[in-house]
Amino acid sequence: MTRRSKLFPTGLLVALLAWGMLCTGALAAEIVIGFTGPLSGPGAGYGRDNANGLKMAADDINKAGGITVKGKKYTFKVEALDDMIDPSAAVNNARRLVSRSGARIIYNPVFNTIAPLMQINEQRGSEFLLMAYSSTPKIEEIKNESTVSIPPPFTAYVQAFSDIAWEKGWRKAAMVVTLGAYGDEWRETFKHYWTEKGGQVVADKPANYYTETDFSSQLSAALATNPEFLLIGGPSEPTGLVIEQARNLGFKGGFMLVDQAKMDYIANVVFKGDLSVMQNVIGINAVRNLPAQIVADFTKRYEDTYKVHVTFEAALNYSSMFIIADAMQAAGTVDDPKAIKAAFAKVLPQSGDKVPTPYQGILTQKLLVDGAVGVIDKGAYQKGYQYVWWPKDEAAFNKSKETLAVSPNIDVRWLPVKGYLQN
Amino acid sequence: MELLLQQIFNGIMFGSTYAIVALGLTLVMGILSIPNFAHGHLYMLGGYITFFFISATGLGFWLSMLLSVITLGLIGVLMERMVYRPLTDQPHINAFIAAIGALLFLEALALVVWGPQGLRIPNPYPQNIQFLGITMGLQRLLVIGGAAVLILCLHLFMKKTLMGTTIEAVAQNREGAMLNGINVNRVSAITFGISSATAAIAASFLSPIFMLSPSMGAILGMKAFIIVILGGMGSIPGAILGGYILGLIEALGGGYVSAAYKDVFAFGALIVILSFKPTGIFGKKEA
Amino acid sequence: MFTKPFHYNLLYLLLLVAALLLPFYVPDAYIFQIVIMSFLFAIATSSMNLIIGFAGQASLAHGAFFGIGAYGVAIMTKAGLSFWLALPLAALISAGIGAVIGIPSLRTRGHYFAIVTLCFGVILWIVAGNWIQLTGGHNGIFGIPLPSSIPIPFLGEIDFYSQTAQYYLALTFLLLTLFVLHRLIYSMFGLTFMAMRNNEPLADAVGIDPFTTKLMAFVIANFIAGMAGGIYASIIGAVSPSAASHLMTFNFLIYVILGGIATLSGSVIGAFAIPIIMELLQFLGDYRMLIFGALLVVVIIYFPQGFVGGLRQLNQKVVAWRQPKQTEGANVSR
Repeated sequence: MTRRSKLFPTGLLVALLAWGMLCTGALAAEIVIGFTGPLSGPGAGYGRDNANGLKMAADDINKAGGITVKGKKYTFKVEALDDMIDPSAAVNNARRLVSRSGARIIYNPVFNTIAPLMQINEQRGSEFLLMAYSSTPKIEEIKNESTVSIPPPFTAYVQAFSDIAWEKGWRKAAMVVTLGAYGDEWRETFKHYWTEKGGQVVADKPANYYTETDFSSQLSAALATNPEFLLIGGPSEPTGLVIEQARNLGFKGGFMLVDQAKMDYIANVVFKGDLSVMQNVIGINAVRNLPAQIVADFTKRYEDTYKVHVTFEAALNYSSMFIIADAMQAAGTVDDPKAIKAAFAKVLPQSGDKVPTPYQGILTQKLLVDGAVGVIDKGAYQKGYQYVWWPKDEAAFNKSKETLAVSPNIDVRWLPVKGYLQN
Repeated sequence: MELLLQQIFNGIMFGSTYAIVALGLTLVMGILSIPNFAHGHLYMLGGYITFFFISATGLGFWLSMLLSVITLGLIGVLMERMVYRPLTDQPHINAFIAAIGALLFLEALALVVWGPQGLRIPNPYPQNIQFLGITMGLQRLLVIGGAAVLILCLHLFMKKTLMGTTIEAVAQNREGAMLNGINVNRVSAITFGISSATAAIAASFLSPIFMLSPSMGAILGMKAFIIVILGGMGSIPGAILGGYILGLIEALGGGYVSAAYKDVFAFGALIVILSFKPTGIFGKKEA
Repeated sequence: MFTKPFHYNLLYLLLLVAALLLPFYVPDAYIFQIVIMSFLFAIATSSMNLIIGFAGQASLAHGAFFGIGAYGVAIMTKAGLSFWLALPLAALISAGIGAVIGIPSLRTRGHYFAIVTLCFGVILWIVAGNWIQLTGGHNGIFGIPLPSSIPIPFLGEIDFYSQTAQYYLALTFLLLTLFVLHRLIYSMFGLTFMAMRNNEPLADAVGIDPFTTKLMAFVIANFIAGMAGGIYASIIGAVSPSAASHLMTFNFLIYVILGGIATLSGSVIGAFAIPIIMELLQFLGDYRMLIFGALLVVVIIYFPQGFVGGLRQLNQKVVAWRQPKQTEGANVSR
């Protein structure tokens, strides 16, 4: 009898204690914006860029006095949880954010975790608005009315980059892009678009940018086919390594960077500001070269606060938080996700003196923002481009130009994205 | 032809790293029977410590490397003492769990201290050499040469010094060595120290051409583990040969067949070899 | 070992009642979610325990078989098959692949077997990421339907939209798994597992065929792992290669060992305790994995037999303290 008599109460006590600790957690007085994403593991840098943008936006909104909804003042708080890109952890985090912290808006930056979150965000009693930072069109294959995607579609970049490369006279491409959901889609889309244009793809040698550091085997094979330019990219740092290793192997041609890799980050962090290795590079524009008036100030404050290089993820998330703040005021509610989302259209377009990447509108579940393309050549950043991809015709494009932030160093172009806007 | 030579050069360079890292691991696995799955993470830490000495103290590459090797050796001794020695009499699977704990700890430590961004050590030898139509970075040649020298030194150490032969004696028969008055615990600690120090050497050689990140050791550690098993646990020639074979398989498989399935060739080769020789190429018959 | 005292059974009965009534007192959706997931992980962990703890073969491909089940159900239900048909089929596929892999790899032992299975796991993981036509590549398969509703005459039907329904689904399968494993382990067949684990040459000498016995354990364990994966896919609604990765295996392994190897209750406790500890450590932010890693090392050093073993030790100490003369035979079978 004595064997069990002590064991059971001890076990029960431990269990009760754990349960009690789990069940505590008061509802915060402020509006909690949830974030679940990779804060450790291989995607940590990317996840933190996303979260930092949100945190800075919340701080800025709070400093300006917060928001007033139905006569009541609110401030924002970003609660960021780590999911290491594990779907079940992401779902746990979302549940926690909704039921513990009362979050009605949850951000997530990876498609692998966005998909499972889209299964639960419309469940009655625990609805939340999913702010998805993912540029894959696959999101639209899942029917979901409470999801909004934040970045421009990557297909817009595929076409914009290809057009510029074509203008430069490049024809023969070789691909050494990262493995992974993102890289796979880029390769496929680029190959399709580039060959349709009349170009050639002479080699496709993907490498895992997340786990490898030496790309010389793939690069040697790709360069043996004598391409005029290489389509490369994944996270920024290894992309810098690929550029360096390709140059060391004697490659003189150009580079096209998939939009996950940031040319300014590579130039400043990997090459310590030395643009000479980055000769002839097409990619997503440097945040500091964007036309919005607030950009210089935003960049400086961001880099001072978080001690990391500014990225597009931070800028776009920052801007999107302002939509949420404005939409809550316009909708007159802080906890009805559907109503908040419905008010998005009322508060757009944003202005360039408030946010670094002003959003222009919303299309069903997709926020509209132009794709910014930059070119590094002859040791300097060349004239950039802004690709407006959503207008259906010339007239709509001219109209959108009125609200767009512009700068003399940037060419605004209209680029109807193929296979994207039929609906 | 040039491409083939270039790929063989790449393969030998990969292989050199694999060989050094696997060498350190095989010492620990063969002698102490510790499945030190955190070996790749010790390698990662070695790279960061070299970075720390270069960036914080301004010491040159070689001096920083030396300091890093010493530091990591000490960390290795500490790890053996604190993590693995208390587990000596427990089933191996428990040491494996401890290793997973240790690697989670080391990775999180690097993340907290140095952040998730990739860090670079300035390349001390950025020059390139053209030879037979293939391009060879000087630092890459240094990796190959350094690995060869290290392997030679380790061989001489094991065969010609008293400490080396003692380690070998413990590997062959732990109880017997103990009966002969060998302090097995001391030998274990020293072996672990040497093993960690070699990981630091590999990381220091490579970090100028690559980039440091907290998760850089995970895949390498797993591959080293596989090489050790492939060569036969505790076998030094097995680890060296296995390292170079894996490097070449990857470079040629990745360059010629399919880059996406590159690792499948490496892991597949292991399964095939072990199906025919269940204790590895140079493995002793298990008792 | 075979017959348990009355209060032992009473404890299990209480636990069962508590589990059956949980939806009525669970405080929020978050804890509900953790419990549902822990049930699924407990199914996978118990089956891993069968091969590691009872048959003594450290298979490190368990996550991959979980993944095969998950992908199997994902692919088949997306193609229009009913979940109730897809689930057993996916588990069978998992068991079948297990047999194919088991035949060459079970020729090796100890560390070698662990590494060979780890390699198989990694290969399956890479294939899951790159066989785009079948697995959807790294994006994986998403929009997987929930288990189809079960019609009940006169009462309507049970659908699986609510967490409560998902909970009972997971609980049912966990109880089923535990029942089957319990019957298996305490049968003649289970005894041969343990005989072989404890002394293979001796078992061989008394007429047990070690290879066939190990293979049977491996195949059964993988069948159950595949089943757990299948339910997981249907409830989470999306599968990506991470569901088949070696990290999944390591998680299961941690649950098995820290819960208490070679005990049925240990696996369940491990699959509950570790995820809950991970959640409790969330407040540490960046330091979470640092503390968790250190904790793992400390626990394995001081509680080599896991939670169940730890409680037994504690219990024995209490007994020894109360009855200093009596020598208590250890209940641990290793």
